[in-house]
Amino acid sequence: MTRLLAGAIVLALGVIPATAQSLDDLNIQIHGYATQGFLYTNQNNAFTTKSSDGSPAWSEVVVNVTAQPIPKLRVGVQARYFLLGNFGNEITLDWADADYKVNDKFGVRVGKVKIPSNLFNETQDIDPSYVWALLPQSVYTLPDRDSQLSLYGGVAYGTLKLGNNLGKLEYRGWGGYQVIPSSDGYWIALREAGMNLPNGLSGINTGAALHWRTPLTGLMIGGSDIRRPAWSSPLTFAPAPGVMLTGSMDVKAFNEWAVFGIYEKDKLMIAGEYNRLAPGITMSFPNMPIPFPIDKRQWYGMASYKVTGKFTAGIYDSQQINRALPLSTGPARFSKDWVVSGRYDFNQFLYAKAEEHFIDGTDNYFDTNLNPNGVKPTTNLTILKMGVSF
Amino acid sequence: MKRLLYAFLIAASASIFIVQAKAQVIVIANPSVKASEVSKNDLKDVFTGASTSLGGASVVPVLLKAGTAHEEFLQAYIGKNDTAYRAGWRSLVFSGQGSMPKSLDSDTAVVDFVTHNPGAIGYIGKATPHEGVKVLAVK
Repeated sequence: MTRLLAGAIVLALGVIPATAQSLDDLNIQIHGYATQGFLYTNQNNAFTTKSSDGSPAWSEVVVNVTAQPIPKLRVGVQARYFLLGNFGNEITLDWADADYKVNDKFGVRVGKVKIPSNLFNETQDIDPSYVWALLPQSVYTLPDRDSQLSLYGGVAYGTLKLGNNLGKLEYRGWGGYQVIPSSDGYWIALREAGMNLPNGLSGINTGAALHWRTPLTGLMIGGSDIRRPAWSSPLTFAPAPGVMLTGSMDVKAFNEWAVFGIYEKDKLMIAGEYNRLAPGITMSFPNMPIPFPIDKRQWYGMASYKVTGKFTAGIYDSQQINRALPLSTGPARFSKDWVVSGRYDFNQFLYAKAEEHFIDGTDNYFDTNLNPNGVKPTTNLTILKMGVSF
Repeated sequence: MKRLLYAFLIAASASIFIVQAKAQVIVIANPSVKASEVSKNDLKDVFTGASTSLGGASVVPVLLKAGTAHEEFLQAYIGKNDTAYRAGWRSLVFSGQGSMPKSLDSDTAVVDFVTHNPGAIGYIGKATPHEGVKVLAVK
């Protein structure tokens, strides 16, 4: 992949002079942002940080470069440094694509492209664009965020005006190859249990999303569906020192659908989303099948209000329940998170966020290694965050 | 009762001021743009990156960096302040869905850009000379 990227950059550097266009003609733009978060929990350690002592281990730096050599064609690349507690701490490629927009009705994007599923999937990593320090973790889980953002393939998109004042319909359809690397936050629990996916987990991902911009100005209602055929990858397990088992992780074909809506009017924003995640996952070792039961129902409702030109306040309720787990698992079966949030924009570049989470349940946020004595059922999480963008 | 009357008069004066403020900014386009009028919704779509065409023809929005005309345009036609407006564009830029429009320093720079770039569309204060461009009526 690195060689492919290097090749693309060399090719681009060769093509740019050949076009004999000035930099201004190419409309080259460089943008970026950086954020620094601070986490504190009254009990339990969250996101693989020592948050019960107060932790600043949440940093991101993003830089992107885009060029528009002709009005309908845009090419760009975005890189990210991400650190969250005990994982990340590396630079990854967010996206690198070429976008050709024929007209408002049809455009296509190819390369490493963002997956336009759910209400906020394309923008869930863009901290400067929303009020919250953390998006609802029932749907937009932070540790495994990056691998859910993009795939190698393409997206077709467009907007169709509906007659008789019925509003507009925005569509997106995508297909490609998605990679969840072995270092991804998705595998934290497995890694801490002694398991490893040396090649990560990868496979085909296709899907579609529809957004109906209704005749009521500011109201959008939509849905998306992701289709993943069967995925499989080698899996290792070290149950004791000196013992190494080799098996496989197999995921049956499954759909992940979501329905959502958002209403924006003047200073008010109200949004909600419901989604179901039920992959059939089996981890197989010789004579030792390990169940991995997941049937999650995840939803949230949120509202924000711009109190002044610089200050916005918001609240949301985010909940998830794993119905595949028996009732006897208690708080490990669910997570309910009430959130109060505020954002202050000092100017168009610099902002600060403060947020308080009242968490009930342990199905999210907490790992085993940093909570060796078990996880208590409720947690208050305080987040302070600063960000700068240009 | 007198207090209520004063409050009403102040509110009425404020509303007159707002109406007058809206009238101080005009939308201009390169003569190649066929449309002579634009709906408020279509104008908002163009300036928020939701659309790149007007009346079936491609258009390119150009912004003012700051100033009275900029604030009035955002207030009247976008419904956001400058910070929220640029945050919306950043969502497109950082998700690979768009490039930030050009932001120019002055009304005269906007007139100059719109004059010389087919498909360009911008906004300026009403008092700024604007020969060489067409004024779009906003419905």
